[in-house]
Amino acid sequence: MKFTIIKDLNQDSMMKPILSGLLFFTLLYLLSDFIVKYSNFGIFPHAIHATLFGNEEQFIDPINKASFLEFWHVEIFFIMMILFTLSTVYIRLSKASKSAIVIVNLMMMSAITSLISLPLAYFLSSDFINIYVATFFIWHILALISTLYSLKRLRYA
Amino acid sequence: MIFESKIGFDAQRALAYYMGNKELFVAAKTNVGILKLALPHIFGFALLSMIILHFLIFTKFRNSTFVKVLLYTLFISQFFESFTPFLIINISEIFIYLKIISFFIFMGLIPIVLYLLFDSIAQIKFR
Repeated sequence: MKFTIIKDLNQDSMMKPILSGLLFFTLLYLLSDFIVKYSNFGIFPHAIHATLFGNEEQFIDPINKASFLEFWHVEIFFIMMILFTLSTVYIRLSKASKSAIVIVNLMMMSAITSLISLPLAYFLSSDFINIYVATFFIWHILALISTLYSLKRLRYA
Repeated sequence: MIFESKIGFDAQRALAYYMGNKELFVAAKTNVGILKLALPHIFGFALLSMIILHFLIFTKFRNSTFVKVLLYTLFISQFFESFTPFLIINISEIFIYLKIISFFIFMGLIPIVLYLLFDSIAQIKFR
């Protein structure tokens, strides 16, 4: 991405609105992701367990293998794109400070762990659901923090 | 083509897609259903806009007012394109026109940005 070579991003009259637009939509994406996951796949252990393995009492059928793999496949792509774009902007705007690097590393590791724990929960053991939930929240919260911080730096720095 | 076949450019057909139509056996959309459909578009459109727009910085159009208007119009039309379905099902059916118009503006502005980029590339080549 060529914006990485622009010197003062928050002083650039063209780059500022472009990145603000991207960050604003990233923020909307992250918030919408919470709502969509909450109402469909689940964001808490019992709801995810019911989605993956079904629930006889609630008449919920388990998700079939093809649908699960399709869901996982889309998740991998979107998480990868969101995190790479966001971390590039965030590191650039925070001037690669130590805390920014720690946040980006934590965000990346928790996102990868959540992606790996999902098929492990489906194919191996339902215990991995807890790891998925914890890492899902960690990377979403860190992504929200990075987005808000980047927007603040872009607007007020 | 996907927009035309699924939703349609005709206001009545597009309205039936969101509000449902008993005669056509089309179920009405819910807020969560719309958000689920909009989710990949929110980030996808933003990334597409950012990538093509930021190349304009390296062209002669960098400081032109036209490009700035283009930039803001693209992001605003993109916002309405993704979020007007909520206005349609929750507030008024009249927003169907905003949905169709914002779609055409968004789709129309992308080729304009690409044209400006190609134009700049061509001028660099023959200089």
